[in-house]
Amino acid sequence: MNTLQKLAGTPIWLAVPAFAILLAIFGIPMVLLFLISLDAPTFSVANYQAFFGHGANVRVLFQTIEVSLVATTLCLIIGYPAAYLITAVSKGLRTTLVVLVVIPYLTSFLVRTYAWIVILGDRGLINNVLRDLGLISSPLQLLYTRMAVYLGMVHIMLPLMILPLVSVMLGIDKSLMAAARSMGARPFAAFWRVFLPLSLPGIRSGSLLVFVLCLGFYITPAALGGLRDAMLSTFIAAQVETSFDMARTATSAFVLLGIAVVMLVIFGLDLSGPRGRAARTSWKWVHLFGTPMRYFNEFAAYYRAKYWNASLYHAVANNRWWKISGTVFVLLTMCFLLFPSIVVIIMSFSAGEFLQFPPPGISLKWYRSFFDDPSWTGAALTSIQIGLGVTLLSTIVGTLAAYGLNRTVPRLRSFLTLVVLAPITFPSIVVGIAAYLGLLKFGLIGTKTGIALTHSLGAIAYVLVIVSATLANFDRRLEQAAMSMGAGPLWTFIRVTLPLIRPGITGGALFAFMHSFDEVVKTSLVSGVSIRTLPLKMWEDMRHEIDPTIAALASLLVLLPVVWLIALYVTWWRSRPSAQRALPEPAT
Amino acid sequence: MQSSQLPAQIEFCSVTKMYGPIPAVSNLSLIVRRGEFLTILGPSGSGKTTTLMLLAGFVTPSKGDILIGGKSVAAVPSYRRDQGIVFQSYALFPHLTVRRNLEFPLEMRGIRSAERAKRVERILKRVHLNDFGGRMPSQLSGGQQQRVALARALIADPPILLLDEPLGALDRNLREQMQVELKGLHKEFGITTVCVTHDQDEALTLSDRIVVMREGRIEQTDAPEVLYDRPATRFVANFLGEANIFENPGFKIQSDVVQPSGTVAMLRPERIGVAAPAAPQHADSDLRQSVTGTVADMIYAGPLRKYHVRAGGDLIVVREHVASGQQIFRPGDEVRLEWLRSDVRFVAA
Repeated sequence: MNTLQKLAGTPIWLAVPAFAILLAIFGIPMVLLFLISLDAPTFSVANYQAFFGHGANVRVLFQTIEVSLVATTLCLIIGYPAAYLITAVSKGLRTTLVVLVVIPYLTSFLVRTYAWIVILGDRGLINNVLRDLGLISSPLQLLYTRMAVYLGMVHIMLPLMILPLVSVMLGIDKSLMAAARSMGARPFAAFWRVFLPLSLPGIRSGSLLVFVLCLGFYITPAALGGLRDAMLSTFIAAQVETSFDMARTATSAFVLLGIAVVMLVIFGLDLSGPRGRAARTSWKWVHLFGTPMRYFNEFAAYYRAKYWNASLYHAVANNRWWKISGTVFVLLTMCFLLFPSIVVIIMSFSAGEFLQFPPPGISLKWYRSFFDDPSWTGAALTSIQIGLGVTLLSTIVGTLAAYGLNRTVPRLRSFLTLVVLAPITFPSIVVGIAAYLGLLKFGLIGTKTGIALTHSLGAIAYVLVIVSATLANFDRRLEQAAMSMGAGPLWTFIRVTLPLIRPGITGGALFAFMHSFDEVVKTSLVSGVSIRTLPLKMWEDMRHEIDPTIAALASLLVLLPVVWLIALYVTWWRSRPSAQRALPEPAT
Repeated sequence: MQSSQLPAQIEFCSVTKMYGPIPAVSNLSLIVRRGEFLTILGPSGSGKTTTLMLLAGFVTPSKGDILIGGKSVAAVPSYRRDQGIVFQSYALFPHLTVRRNLEFPLEMRGIRSAERAKRVERILKRVHLNDFGGRMPSQLSGGQQQRVALARALIADPPILLLDEPLGALDRNLREQMQVELKGLHKEFGITTVCVTHDQDEALTLSDRIVVMREGRIEQTDAPEVLYDRPATRFVANFLGEANIFENPGFKIQSDVVQPSGTVAMLRPERIGVAAPAAPQHADSDLRQSVTGTVADMIYAGPLRKYHVRAGGDLIVVREHVASGQQIFRPGDEVRLEWLRSDVRFVAA
């Protein structure tokens, strides 16, 4: 009895399955890779010397940092004012705008990359429009340039800059701006002296997140950039494809990881003290990835209106020109975020044979081409199978882990959360190589199980983050109350905890499926030759023959996030203990 | 209080609870008798909530044992203890209606649905919430939520009721009303009740006995009147009501008893009279001590008037009920303070 109770008191063991998967497929292989890069058992830094001794390597390294820096800066320049304007509008409009930012965030990044090919291609939207206007005679080289890389990267990363910024800005008490004004500060001074400093945490976390994720970019630069725009991930992938020289690959992977970690250490960590450090960083990551989820919560909980603050705020910015230019800016940003998806949808109905925009006629032939081709439908089926498997596995394992970690001491929780998040913070190619090595040991390369386990690494992280965020708001006294009324631990969990954290679990499950359904980098490394998932086939086709079949698939994928959002909205809305729902009495 | 004749329902036997190296509760021994309303009073961090959690079974003792009805419960999980608990923020299940909330403890005890419905209706009526069974907790006011929480704790007729700051979230008027209601329910159900609070009014109004805790230890256990009138220590004197402690009075404190060593003299502000220096003496002036001083401050507080008077080395607080025909003193006025020698108490320093 006593031991049972003690176990129930420290349910850290619930996290064991998650960590078992993590260690077997990712943790131990990472250690092995590191040892390989160090020429274990003789131990030398020869591989690293060789890496840095090679001029081309160093050039790619600097290029990676440069591209990431520029993309991050662009995101901040566009994202900060956009976030500011989004927080300034009324609650209803804000919700709409946030949803419009979240939709591209949830859209397959392959689709979004593909959209830029349609827009920038030789017969794409821009070139055709310019030619029709008579401004050019031969197409401009837009695709396969550095500019195309920046466009694509900023387009993909912008939501991840805007969302943390909005969340921090919403937390800033707007009456502070009014107070500054009342003390004689002009609007700009009030902004500069009060608002900007208070929004710095958002700038820092948004920029850090974007920068670190940019460092690991592979697909977008490879698809949109020229040969000279290779990033380190692309370079590593090429190494893997040409010669599977583990030592060289491992070395490059650890160099890439090293930059990411150094950046996190320099900018991410609060240097206020060694004790608070680990806790803060990890929870910041949780916070970042949890951000989109909180928006859904927000529009489920509209009763938390801050009308008073909103009206105070309106008193601050009343100049007409500011309003007009603000509106225009937000509209342009939203267009930039959403327009590519719309272009893809239009493209999918093209009657032409090539990626020609605007299309010469309307037809459904590319949809037919997709559904009639067994290699496409087979890939779709494979992806759905794997996706469902991943969702089931990671939702159960991730929820258990979140519950277990929620009940441990904060320092251990922070550390373990940081560990679980590694598969979504580390560059995908690094995680992919580790997973390759891990699955090789189990003989699971080229199997659906292997792919599902690889996807589960990231999916568990998403489930953990989202369920943890829900659990953090969960009042544990409710469990104590249930226990005091005679409910054992299991009944308490089923009757009280589970119904109350179900929205988080649903959200986590959706993210898990989405992650699996969109994953290509890791999949390409572990899928072997026989298995083709949908994103993998899409990526291969994008590189070789570009025909609008992909557009048909892409526009179907564009609809997915809309479906997700509706599904999430319905679960969350229903779970809200609200006045509208409760009045009719249940017939019991 | 004849409670000492009643059998013990709950016994703490030298219970210690450590959090890391810090004891939250150390070597606590306490007996709660059947049907008694016992309040544990103390400032935050005094270990009172830990004591309640130990009793509820959410926390296990590091040392010592807890007996309920004569049996050790140290290893019994909370869901087998058969207690009703009212939590500080009520902990009503937000996803269940009031009725389903009330049914929950009955369901867990395997009571059939017809019987459950009957008992729910009965208790709803008892707490004056007849028509609220179908509401969600979020649709109730604070006072209504409080009553649902209380009903939910009582519905399964547990032998023990635990209250964690039960009225803390209510505003002043509602709190007084609920105090009366709580007292009525306790009398009606005759249930052994342990209440934790930092609100001394609540403790004085509701309890048969009060335990004052400080830094994980019991400072004093007594009936409310005894506790207020004869505090054992300076801490208790200060924590319950206001107290004048004579640190360095500059005059000899007269008393009918000999001052024990290690104590200081204490006098409640309402036991001191204030008069003009030239005012006639009381008839029983030989039973009284009087000193003169200067008014430093006068505070008007509705039915009361408070003077801070500098006399000797101390600032003496005097509390006087406002009545017509009283002389009102201003800062700087000379006054004579006097009190019955028998009102002086000696408390452990």
